[in-house]
Amino acid sequence: MSEELISKKELLDIAGISYGQLYRWKRKDLIPEEWFIRKSTFTGQETFFPKEKILERIDKIQTMKENLSLDELADMFSPNVTELHLTNDELVKRNIVSSAVMDLYLKTEMGGQHFEFSRILEVFVLEKLLQSGEINLDEGKMLLQVLKDNRGLIKQKNGELVLTRKLGVSSCLLLINAEDVKFEQGTKIVVQLSLVKCMEEIKANLL
Amino acid sequence: MDTKKRGDLNINGFGSANGGQFHQVTIKGKGTVNSDIECVVFDCNGSGTVNGNVITNKAKVNGNGKIKGHLECKMLTVDGTAKIENNLNVENFKVAGKASIGGRVKAEEISIKGRLTVEGDCEADSFKAESHFMIGGLLTADHVDIKLFGECKAKEIGGQTILINHKPALMGLFKHFIQTQLETELIEGDKIELENTKAAVVRGNQITIGANCEIGLVEYTDELSVDKKATVKDSRKV
Repeated sequence: MSEELISKKELLDIAGISYGQLYRWKRKDLIPEEWFIRKSTFTGQETFFPKEKILERIDKIQTMKENLSLDELADMFSPNVTELHLTNDELVKRNIVSSAVMDLYLKTEMGGQHFEFSRILEVFVLEKLLQSGEINLDEGKMLLQVLKDNRGLIKQKNGELVLTRKLGVSSCLLLINAEDVKFEQGTKIVVQLSLVKCMEEIKANLL
Repeated sequence: MDTKKRGDLNINGFGSANGGQFHQVTIKGKGTVNSDIECVVFDCNGSGTVNGNVITNKAKVNGNGKIKGHLECKMLTVDGTAKIENNLNVENFKVAGKASIGGRVKAEEISIKGRLTVEGDCEADSFKAESHFMIGGLLTADHVDIKLFGECKAKEIGGQTILINHKPALMGLFKHFIQTQLETELIEGDKIELENTKAAVVRGNQITIGANCEIGLVEYTDELSVDKKATVKDSRKV
């Protein structure tokens, strides 16, 4: 994905932050190492960032740092999932999942009432897509299966969920650390969802 | 963690032991521990080797300590020679001898009077050094305060305030033999004061370039002052 890049200097200027802040956030792992892209320019090496991502992240940090400490923020951004355990009732009560979707999930997945983070993520994704009306029930089940089979990977890596349809047949893919993905003509991408973002959303809702 | 019921591990003289969970681990003499250790206090007075990782509260190396893994602790004091072959995670890191770390260092406070070698990045809230050091990656801290004693190297330095001073050698006789200079590719900070520094690029808001500096390019936003004895090839206000 050829993203638009922004140099460190421009970033500091646009976001109105100092070198000190940027390095501090980097140290606290609020900004992932992969975003620091080194390139040589005519003045020597310079560091660039993926523009959209970094600006969004800095915006988030700046709005949330009033209420949360930097360490708490770091927990929120890290894909390493925190120790979260909830029951199905709690999830419904906290408005993360509607009770209808929860019932459906429990019926399909046939697990217990105890939810650790990967199951919370699965049910959250299901809720999100079903409620938005983008997918139907069968596709939801297919999607759950994909998520369930790859739980280990999702926890550690940057996963992205893609659902496509062509001539009425749908299929579901999980991209791991993928840069880009291309489809043949006539394929409709129904859903493209970053799981890391979903995790952040869940964490933001739970905090 | 219930640590009261744990036993101690003592090696006096020549010996080796397996790792595990302990309250206190003391190595006096020449000791080898063959696997991972988790303990409250780790004390190495002679020549100790751990063939594994160490997780502890307080670690102290007075003689010669070697950890062939990573070390995680609240406080690490090195008064002798310590070698950690992997990463070091520590809150308070004090060196009055020689420490070399094969991986990266993550700390809150680092204070060094001696010699430090880090292969990877070195990160801290505050970094104070009166020493020689070699950092293979990025040195970053809110406050970087360095008094140069010998030849120092870091690939990059970044932080809020960066002060690099030259400390006059005590033994004037040797002054000409030992080069006291810091060499780096890039320095970035809000407030930067340099002496005896050789850098390709320096970027910041308030920059003071002191004596004996050799800088390729300075980019500043607020202020720049350059000493007569310094050479700056190019400078621009951005």
